[in-house]
Amino acid sequence: MVFIGCSTGGTSRTRPCCAKELTVATPLSDRSLYQIDSSWTTDAGTTLKLPSLAGRPQVVTMFFAHCEYACPVLVHDMKKVEAALPASLRTNVGFVLISFDSERDTPAALTTYRKNHELPPNWTLIRGAPDDVLELAALLGVKFKKDARGQFAHSNILTLLNAGGEVTHQQVGLNQSPEETVKQIRQLPAP
Amino acid sequence: MKRQATVQVAVALLWALAFPCLVQGQQRPAGKTPEGMVLVPAGRYTPLFRAEKDPKDFPVSAFFLDVLPVTNGDYLMFIRANPKWRRSTMKRLFADGDYLQSWAGDMEPGPKAANNAPVTHLSWFAAKAYCAWKGKRLPTTAEWEYAAAAGLTRADGENDPEFVRQVRSWYATPAPETLPEVGRSRTNFFGVHDLHGLTWEWAADFNTAMVTGDARGDTGLERQLFCGSGSEGAKDTGNFPAFMRYGFRSSLKASYTVHNLGFRGARSVDEQGK
Repeated sequence: MVFIGCSTGGTSRTRPCCAKELTVATPLSDRSLYQIDSSWTTDAGTTLKLPSLAGRPQVVTMFFAHCEYACPVLVHDMKKVEAALPASLRTNVGFVLISFDSERDTPAALTTYRKNHELPPNWTLIRGAPDDVLELAALLGVKFKKDARGQFAHSNILTLLNAGGEVTHQQVGLNQSPEETVKQIRQLPAP
Repeated sequence: MKRQATVQVAVALLWALAFPCLVQGQQRPAGKTPEGMVLVPAGRYTPLFRAEKDPKDFPVSAFFLDVLPVTNGDYLMFIRANPKWRRSTMKRLFADGDYLQSWAGDMEPGPKAANNAPVTHLSWFAAKAYCAWKGKRLPTTAEWEYAAAAGLTRADGENDPEFVRQVRSWYATPAPETLPEVGRSRTNFFGVHDLHGLTWEWAADFNTAMVTGDARGDTGLERQLFCGSGSEGAKDTGNFPAFMRYGFRSSLKASYTVHNLGFRGARSVDEQGK
């Protein structure tokens, strides 16, 4: 398997060029999330396949832009993880926000979200088709339900994926201390 | 086989030329019911729990539902055509270590998994893949619950005391080690067998049941199911089986395989193959 590198437009946002490239084909383990083939769209409007996130740890959460309460806190929790990482690791960890809201979270809406929340380039914001969202949520153990107002009730979980896309740790709940997640990231083998 | 298919296509084409309006008619909602399925007419689904501002019930469009749960024999054909779903090569992401545990071998259901008994010990991914192979999909929770709410002689099973008694008695009985054959029970009002009384079944959106062991901490809605106030806000506090199903679904993960959890296929009426 060949992973897409810096040079292709589709993933330039998700992989800053200071990040190490995955040059050798690494077989995915049978627990890797990167085995799924769904296509996603980033806030930049480009197509993203999950294997393009491989090669370094990713901290992942599911969210939606219209969320009034939980998601801003979740994003804040992710920022706390990022801030607590040693500088040497920070450039090599990605952060991914996956939207539940296939309808409203268009690339434009995600672009606005990135701007409003001042999310740096190593943060990837994606949206996908409802079936693919359901599948990815199932893989992450995330439950969600749309209510009549179009809001989503959802699990509040940050998931740490290792470089090969395996779930290695989950931080459950809101307003959590980043300590354990950071410890888990530090324990991952250097890419 | 191939020749036969060619002949069928040719006949179909001739038929289409001769009776264009008839062929067109088949794509309408009132079209032909696929083999082994029944048309469950449109109705309304009243969820057990709902968010404060949600309506009391939701419309369910007419859909096709398999009359019978998928059997070990059916599933064997799927594996023959799709060897990557064999037990020995199953990827852990898509099914846990108990996948098809009751089978004797990769291509052999064996004595504990009779040909005509429902296939169980399989994950949501496996159930979904089987349905896709059949040009079907898993029923949604709303569709499944709506179909399963029908009694033996009327659509509103809750007003059918005999049906309520039978269902409760099954939910109170542990599953036998070797599951009985499908289709032994009476069909319900819609003509569907075994929605109760044989196994639990996967729903496409099982992960929209918001109650999990850790939900108290990680979700913002539907906390009503817990502790003393467990049934507060529920539509029918006497519907013990619905509580069980809701709780069971919410405890599942997509890769889980369970001894008494099987599935059946569904298909939308207006979208062929969907």
